[in-house]
Amino acid sequence: MPAATGVTAPSLTTFTRSVRSKGISVESSTDNLISLLKRRQIRGSQACAIATAYLLRRVVESVKVTDVGRLIERVQQVGQRLVSAQPRELAIGNIVRRVLGVIREEAEEDREGETSGYSDAGTDSRPHTPRNQDVRSPEHSTILSRSFTSSPLRHGEKDEQVEAPGQWGPQRPPLLTSHASYAVTNTAPTVTSMFSLLSQPISNFPSPTTSPGSQSPGIHQSLSSQTLSNITAAKDLKAEVVEGIQEILEELTQADDQIAGYALEHIHSNEVILTHTSSVTVQKFLLKAATKRKFTVIHAEAYPNNHEATHAAAVGNVRGDFDEDIGAEKFQKALTAAGVTVVLIPDSAVFALMSRINKVILGTHVVLANGGLVAAAGAKAIAKAAKVHATPVVVLSGVYKLSPVYPFDMDSLMENGDPSKVIGYDDGGFVDKVKIENPLFDYVPVELVNLYITNLGGHAPSYLHCIIDDHYRPEDIDLDKVDVY
Amino acid sequence: MATPPDAGSRPAVAQGSNATEHPLENGVQHQHTASNSEQAPAVKGKAKDANGTENKKKTAEGSKDGKPSGKELKEKSKAEKVARRAQQKQAQQGQPVVDLGPEKQGDKDARKQSLAGPDSNFPKTQHKRTGSTSTGGQKPMPFRPAQAHAPPIKEEPKKENKNVALFDHLYGNPRRSTVAGASRDVHPAVLALGLQIRNYVICGSSARCVATLLAFKRVIESYITPPQTSLPRHLTTHLSSQIDYLVSCRPLSISMGNAIRWLKVKISEVDISVEEFRAKADLCNAIDNFITEKIIVADQVITRRAVEKIKDGDLILTYAKSSIVQQVLVEAYRKGKQFKVIVVDSRPLFEGKNLARALAELGLDVQYSLTHGISHVMKDATKVFLGAHAMMSDGRLYSRVGTALVAMTAKEANVPVIVCCESVKYTERVALDSFVHNEIAPPEELIIHGEKSSPLSRWLEVPNLQLLNLMYDLTPAEYITMVIDESGYLPPSSVPFMQRLSTNT
Repeated sequence: MPAATGVTAPSLTTFTRSVRSKGISVESSTDNLISLLKRRQIRGSQACAIATAYLLRRVVESVKVTDVGRLIERVQQVGQRLVSAQPRELAIGNIVRRVLGVIREEAEEDREGETSGYSDAGTDSRPHTPRNQDVRSPEHSTILSRSFTSSPLRHGEKDEQVEAPGQWGPQRPPLLTSHASYAVTNTAPTVTSMFSLLSQPISNFPSPTTSPGSQSPGIHQSLSSQTLSNITAAKDLKAEVVEGIQEILEELTQADDQIAGYALEHIHSNEVILTHTSSVTVQKFLLKAATKRKFTVIHAEAYPNNHEATHAAAVGNVRGDFDEDIGAEKFQKALTAAGVTVVLIPDSAVFALMSRINKVILGTHVVLANGGLVAAAGAKAIAKAAKVHATPVVVLSGVYKLSPVYPFDMDSLMENGDPSKVIGYDDGGFVDKVKIENPLFDYVPVELVNLYITNLGGHAPSYLHCIIDDHYRPEDIDLDKVDVY
Repeated sequence: MATPPDAGSRPAVAQGSNATEHPLENGVQHQHTASNSEQAPAVKGKAKDANGTENKKKTAEGSKDGKPSGKELKEKSKAEKVARRAQQKQAQQGQPVVDLGPEKQGDKDARKQSLAGPDSNFPKTQHKRTGSTSTGGQKPMPFRPAQAHAPPIKEEPKKENKNVALFDHLYGNPRRSTVAGASRDVHPAVLALGLQIRNYVICGSSARCVATLLAFKRVIESYITPPQTSLPRHLTTHLSSQIDYLVSCRPLSISMGNAIRWLKVKISEVDISVEEFRAKADLCNAIDNFITEKIIVADQVITRRAVEKIKDGDLILTYAKSSIVQQVLVEAYRKGKQFKVIVVDSRPLFEGKNLARALAELGLDVQYSLTHGISHVMKDATKVFLGAHAMMSDGRLYSRVGTALVAMTAKEANVPVIVCCESVKYTERVALDSFVHNEIAPPEELIIHGEKSSPLSRWLEVPNLQLLNLMYDLTPAEYITMVIDESGYLPPSSVPFMQRLSTNT
């Protein structure tokens, strides 16, 4: 642990301060964050995501980039360490994937720029890759054939153009358009070499010829042929990646407000809304709605893990001393002060009240790729009660909480909390004889959720995988499996 | 300790009935609280302003931290503007709430202390005290005295109505916390019982039913028919005043209602020609028989049946505390069955803690969790045993709030739900939801008392904030696999027939 944490208890704020100061090495910052995560001094999706983004920005800044492969490798290494430090905070992995995606995208854009300038170098350096591809997957050959035919001169073949993006998922369109712009000036081999980049997603398939490392040798070659131009390009790349991370950070801090922006579309006047635990996202959402509408909020207190924060939020959060991770920006005006009637109930009364509730609005810890979510314990029973009463369940979640992980092993995502919150240790005789269970999270299956609202808007749960495709590159989805070469 | 000032200073005022005495007393207390609270508002405004600016500073700092883009800044300033506007608006409307003045702080502390731990030594002192005070009925009970202050604050017309609108019909008068103002006719045993029930010293449908019957037996024993009336006529009205007192302490349970109805029928059936002492002895015998037959033997029969349903290796889940479920588990353990128990519990009563403690001390393998972990503990459970407050005649179970959540989770996990219920708890009433018929406990019970003062302790000052402390909820019949009563195993749909049988005989 570096001494940077100072007098105050280590938390997100102290970490972000320390990670920005140049005096502390990247390595010690990484260790610092890992220990913070392990000790749960940084917890909660947003805090973890922000910390990860700050650290990765520092990592990218500090790497002496000579080629993209090294950079990706470095970020992967740090990312893996962070993820294994706290595997239940899926947001960490999400941010690592996002950063990797940014790097890959910038690299691809760069290379496109390169190849347009030095088209012969591009063609020379990868003569064998396109051939591999053709053999490998029929999908690719169709794309290739399409790419040959879809020059601006041949607009007649619209059907293929329409079909292709769907086949490739939403992340294709920008690349295809950029290709189209170059297609006029470049020769056909250039085009195929560009598609060799697109073939990288496939490298996760077990195939001896296409290890994930196949990308970097290719780049090496091109680098060695134009060292001079590439150094400047690498510098640009680094700056662009840092900028990309900066954008992610901005998204992280603005997500709650953006979600709140949709509040008025979802809350009508005189509505009775049930919520659970004190989630800043939900509070902001309801506060935003309270500026225009009058409604009632029934607030289940989430005893024993989050009731103090819930009570404080209900009374008007004068001090955030219940949770040090709550940064200064999270000081909230209480809903009650905004004219909303708040009824605080114990968790047990949820079923009794459900028949008069119009909407259940839940915050979440993590959203999984199938649309299920991991939320504070008790959420499952609430969602189920809502389902039984045909009450819609709305889940608010920033996109950064969307994880491409599928819930095959739910128990690995669950966590048990401090049993002394259920029964204090002062009740010694009781604690000795009785097993006490205090789960922190519940897995809420997708069929109990009616709507997700992210910072991109409202989505059906079944649509979430499209957003995941938009934000994460397929080659980054399995962070553990990536070979470190 | 703060005692109600009016009660002590008043000498033996001519005692009217409950109905006339109550409003008078409340009125006096209103004045008290009003004068206290009116001195505060000036201070409050300033404090609020200071708070506001502080908050704004904080948000500004926060944005500096994150190196905000132009867009972010814009949004921030917009948000601030909205907040400022809202604040102004509130200022114009005038704050409906009044802060606690410094002099009232003491009161509040006293209330807190008195609330903190009355339960542990309560029953012992209770009996002694009632013995000395009951004849006069004028001295205030020394327990929970500050409670007497709390309810009038709620009712003050100037103040905001803190009742949850959906349940407004259930609030009624605040629960009585002293014997002051009780009718002269109320028997000391009943006086004590009322307070015991109110403070959950006697809690649970069966226990309250038995205790009420025993108290009424003592009423009948010490009853002397006044001249020019007959026992069947006058004893009923005499009992009515006892019942009124009990209701003012806490609403009657269904089982109490059933028992009282039965007792009234018995009294009205007494032959006028029978001598008084004989009639009284007969009634007392009848009460004893009722308790033995309907509760004690019924429990034994149900226990025997339910124990048959527990197999070796079972993991039995139960919610809160039911005396009959406890008997079942203890009996099964005595019979040498190998099983484990999960007790799920809830705020604010934590009744399950007592059950878990009792079972663990016997040597059972007990696991304890709260409502939030219900989905997790249900995964391993093989059977759910529930007690009942009442069974509705449409087969729904009316029981401690949270039971419905447990039953629902069990149904989802395909775990059978078995309800143990004596037939004295059957009611001809039907209900579709937990709103029309329910009981609201004092919201102050939700405030957590620890070394650190809970933010909720000042909930009365927060405008628009309401606490809801519901006592019961209704479990749909489809979540219940089986009901065990003294006549056998039945599906919940058969409850109305059993109810008919038990009332007709």
